[in-house]
Amino acid sequence: MRIGVCIKQVPDTDSHLRIADSGREIDDSDLNWVISSCDLCALEEGLLLAEAQVSRGEERPELVVFSLGPPRVEEALRKALALGADRAVHLAGEALQGGDALADGCALAAALAKVHCDLVLTGAQSDDLGQAATPAVIAEILGVPYAWLVMAVELDSRKQSVRVVRELEGGMNEVLRLDLPAVLAIQAGINKPRFASLRGTLQSRRKPLHREDCSGVDAGLVGAAGAGTETESVSLPPAGAGGVVIEGVSAEAAAEELLAHLEREAAL
Amino acid sequence: MVLLPHTYQSAEYAPRLAVRLGAAYVASVSSATLDAGGVLSFSRAILQARLRAEVRPKRRLVVATVQIGAFGGHDPVELPERVFEVGRPADVERHREREILGREAAGAGGVDLPGAERIVTAGRGVGGPDEVSVAADLASALDAELGASRPVVDNGWLPREHQVGSSGHIVAPNLYVALGVSGSIQHLMGMSGSRVIVAVNRDPEAPIFSVAHYGIVADLHDVAPALTRLLLARRPG
Ligand SMILES: Cc1cc2nc3c(=O)[nH]c(=O)nc-3n(C[C@H](O)[C@H](O)[C@H](O)COP(=O)(O)OP(=O)(O)OC[C@H]3O[C@@H](n4cnc5c(N)ncnc54)[C@H](O)[C@@H]3O)c2cc1C
Repeated sequence: MRIGVCIKQVPDTDSHLRIADSGREIDDSDLNWVISSCDLCALEEGLLLAEAQVSRGEERPELVVFSLGPPRVEEALRKALALGADRAVHLAGEALQGGDALADGCALAAALAKVHCDLVLTGAQSDDLGQAATPAVIAEILGVPYAWLVMAVELDSRKQSVRVVRELEGGMNEVLRLDLPAVLAIQAGINKPRFASLRGTLQSRRKPLHREDCSGVDAGLVGAAGAGTETESVSLPPAGAGGVVIEGVSAEAAAEELLAHLEREAAL
Repeated sequence: MVLLPHTYQSAEYAPRLAVRLGAAYVASVSSATLDAGGVLSFSRAILQARLRAEVRPKRRLVVATVQIGAFGGHDPVELPERVFEVGRPADVERHREREILGREAAGAGGVDLPGAERIVTAGRGVGGPDEVSVAADLASALDAELGASRPVVDNGWLPREHQVGSSGHIVAPNLYVALGVSGSIQHLMGMSGSRVIVAVNRDPEAPIFSVAHYGIVADLHDVAPALTRLLLARRPG
């Protein structure tokens, strides 16, 4: 059995964000890059599934990690190898850059299909663009079932299907059975991602990391050419509701003032 | 253009629909503009709401999901009724590769947050399980339902059904009072459509103030009891 995990490298959310001079993207000259938080949970879930198979006396599934992006994403792939993935595929090359979720999902689907994964895990949504679209696009292109916001995963003993629990709104969960192969987008909170050990880091240097340029895919479907959207501009959010601020007075005075406002607003 | 609400149900299949239709896909938009030249663009939050992006579809057909609460409610518009007969796709009968086995509540019921006129929410800033009562007391003085941010629920201070936010309830009451809530994107997604938003937070930089109509920069343990006392004193009888 083989499990594919797709990870995205994103700016650390604590990074200082500056808008580039072009006004169309963030200035990436001085950013700290990390693996998107839900993607780390997806990798952890893959590792836990592999370990569960081993403890049942089964063969350990192979864990292959995929990432698309410029050369810096090799650092994210090395980290995934240090955490326990067996090998890594870097979707690299000029033709793959500048895509959106449709284009990147298409490239990832092609790379995943080449490797024949029984189960594909991704994060529920990236910490940067947060569209939650790439895993669904992969599933659609591969023509396999998909579940989003997955909070529990259990392989059936014959490894032909998977039982998942997914979050719904309002504190409801849905229990699903999906035939394999399938794509699951993992929600934060499902597990607590481990830290890399020194031994893992040392071993990761010897693990295979190879480049994939997706040259077999129609160039019009990937990268900037395959994108369905383009970002026109990036800006700071609007300053806010321009609300009334009550500050520096006693709690009683603040409470009186607020209630007077709320009465005028007919909010009481 | 195909517009869908950005719910946990529709946002799951909407990108698949876009692929199948050969359409562009834009998720969770908060506004749309059509310029004089007829060019459509969408605005959406990126990088955990720290920035906004204007996104332009490059294809004629677009599938977009709309962030819940981004648009205030309007009075219903009378439209002529038109019923479209949709044939049943032939392959529905075949073996189901994805089957719903059931639904389970993550907690007990009894809280009607989405239907509430007023909500008072306890954030992590209330401090602990025994301090949630400051929010509960204010809620009862306001005839409001009691809400919670996710950490309050994850810590077990209140049951899951009180949670407001992207993974809890999406609400848009007449009045929303946030006590000790910082204003993360996931929380804002659940309540930013409320008509009047009040925030009590001792940090003047807390992002919740960017959506609050009335912000009190103070310790909630002073302000909330003062509000409760005033409201109770005003009650007739
Ligand atoms: C996929 C995902 C889904 C999520 N879904 C949700 C969701 O549905 N709902 C949700 O709420 N979160 C959700 N979260 C979590 C979210 O990211 C934040 O962590 C969370 O909203 C923060 O909760 P908080 O504001 O209560 O706590 P904090 O961010 O810790 O804020 C506490 C605030 O209280 C203030 N404070 C402290 N003491 C006082 C005092 N005495 N008086 C006044 N103010 C005080 C502080 O200044 C601070 O601003 C989700 C996260 C992820 C990754």
